[in-house]
Amino acid sequence: MEGPHTYMNQQNPVGPPRGFRDILPTEARELGVIEQTLAEVFADSGFTPLHPPLLEFGAVDSAKPRRIQFLDSDGNLVALRPDLTTSVARLVAGRYRDMNGVLRLSYIAPVFREEPPMSGVAREVLQAGVELIGGDGALADAEILALLAESLERCGLSVRESTVQVGSIRLASGLFGILADAARGEILRALREGDIAGALSRAREAGMPADHLERAARALAGGDGVEAEADLCRVIDLARERWPGKDKRWGVPNLGLVPALPYYTGVVFEAIHADVGVVASGGRYDLLIGAFGEPRPAIGFAIDVLQLHRALFAGAWQPRSQRPLLLLRASPDERATMRCAATIRGGGMAVALGDVVERAGRSVIHAEVVDERFVKLDDGPVAEAATLGRDFVP
Amino acid sequence: MNDALSALRAIGLDVSGITPGGRRLVVDGGAVEFVLARPSDIATYVERGAADLGIVGKDVLLESEARVVELVDLGFGACRFVVAAPRGAMQRSLDEYRHLGTLEVATKYPNVAERHFRARDIAVEIVKVAGSAEVAPLVGLADWIVDLVATGSTLRANGLAVVEEIASSTARLVANPASFQLRRQEIGPVVERLAAWAAPR
Repeated sequence: MEGPHTYMNQQNPVGPPRGFRDILPTEARELGVIEQTLAEVFADSGFTPLHPPLLEFGAVDSAKPRRIQFLDSDGNLVALRPDLTTSVARLVAGRYRDMNGVLRLSYIAPVFREEPPMSGVAREVLQAGVELIGGDGALADAEILALLAESLERCGLSVRESTVQVGSIRLASGLFGILADAARGEILRALREGDIAGALSRAREAGMPADHLERAARALAGGDGVEAEADLCRVIDLARERWPGKDKRWGVPNLGLVPALPYYTGVVFEAIHADVGVVASGGRYDLLIGAFGEPRPAIGFAIDVLQLHRALFAGAWQPRSQRPLLLLRASPDERATMRCAATIRGGGMAVALGDVVERAGRSVIHAEVVDERFVKLDDGPVAEAATLGRDFVP
Repeated sequence: MNDALSALRAIGLDVSGITPGGRRLVVDGGAVEFVLARPSDIATYVERGAADLGIVGKDVLLESEARVVELVDLGFGACRFVVAAPRGAMQRSLDEYRHLGTLEVATKYPNVAERHFRARDIAVEIVKVAGSAEVAPLVGLADWIVDLVATGSTLRANGLAVVEEIASSTARLVANPASFQLRRQEIGPVVERLAAWAAPR
């Protein structure tokens, strides 16, 4: 017989590997509400869910891999998918090779990223997102940007002015347009790493004139008084038409937004919350699908569902309340007990026989079986089983 | 630390409550709150949003790879990451590299060292030490070292010479990416004034 101490040793650790965690019923219920809302919002704009596989082929990088990867028993290097956009791009380039029209795909699924130990960062991230493939131009950009705002709003996160930042890789790169391609590549790499100071000093070294440098510095610093590019404002203005006439300004142009992911080519955006940081990010990636086949214009976003959950919680959010659960104590007549429970369920009320300790925040009502047709509520009268569902509407 | 304090003083922040080496590590500065921390912790504080802004050396950012926004090169605290080897032992090291196929490199900065040698396609074994890497070749712990030097006098005193410079470093003003966007109203003026302060240097 194994004692409890055996669970503490290395072979049988009690917790999951670092960066992974158990999601217990209370949180799972809350996440379920968020996921259901997002699935509805995506479907309302014509996006249809798909499920890429958990494993993709890995790659040998010169840099430290951000993927969790290992050899399978065939000897192939495989990786837990580090993001879904790349999986969708691969899938579209292969399976939809001969369908040139527009695809609207959505997903709610976990992704996995290697993180250094003791950095307090999760290695499993739950993403909900959409990819619009074949859509091009300002209207497609605006539709996806508006859909991100709507997704957050419908989940209960108020989208204030600074919450959604909108940038453009094309325009940010254009700030350094007078430099040679090689220098511009290095500058973009620095910007992806968040090194604005380094990018500007590289531009100075490459011989960028002072007035251009000054303009680039101001544009990258963003903030008030910076005149945003007309193309970017057009996308934001169009996206705001989702709530026409409303004074609500929720998109801010910001050319300094250059995400770390290298595949973006056009408009990029990020939803940021004051307490939890980045909640969602996305953008246009017109060349990524080309890495797997024929290039196709594409734009999408992914919401970090756990971050969204934390952001909602910071605002004292409560999930939609659930129907209460009737905990039914059996009578000595077990046959009558089964029939009674079935009758109650038939009347629209949730029933569990006996007790349950993990209630995940769900309210419960206690009652005892009287006979097939009647129960005695613990804090109330004898009630008819068939009509209980009507009496306890949430 | 003193350079950082004079920069903050120069842009009009009240740093009178900060005493270097003192026990108070969270200090009220009027419109801002100062947090005093070890350099490598500053990157962590800012990355995780415990502080909105930080002043920290590029050397720390290179080693920690913290995800922060680097806003201003403040210019002070200049130093360099270098590869150093015992003076006159270069030929012996290269012979040994040809013979054994690898070199041992002692360093306090394993990430910087590993990235550098991988980029140069030189096979090395990194030996992480917590302090005084410069003694490693003397005592036979490693062939070479990767270290941070300001003047190079410590290297000379230990009979070491610079083989190659990896990167130069100065103090940077860094921001938490989310704070930089969301608290731009408050952060913006500090960044602008520090940039103006650093520009002529």
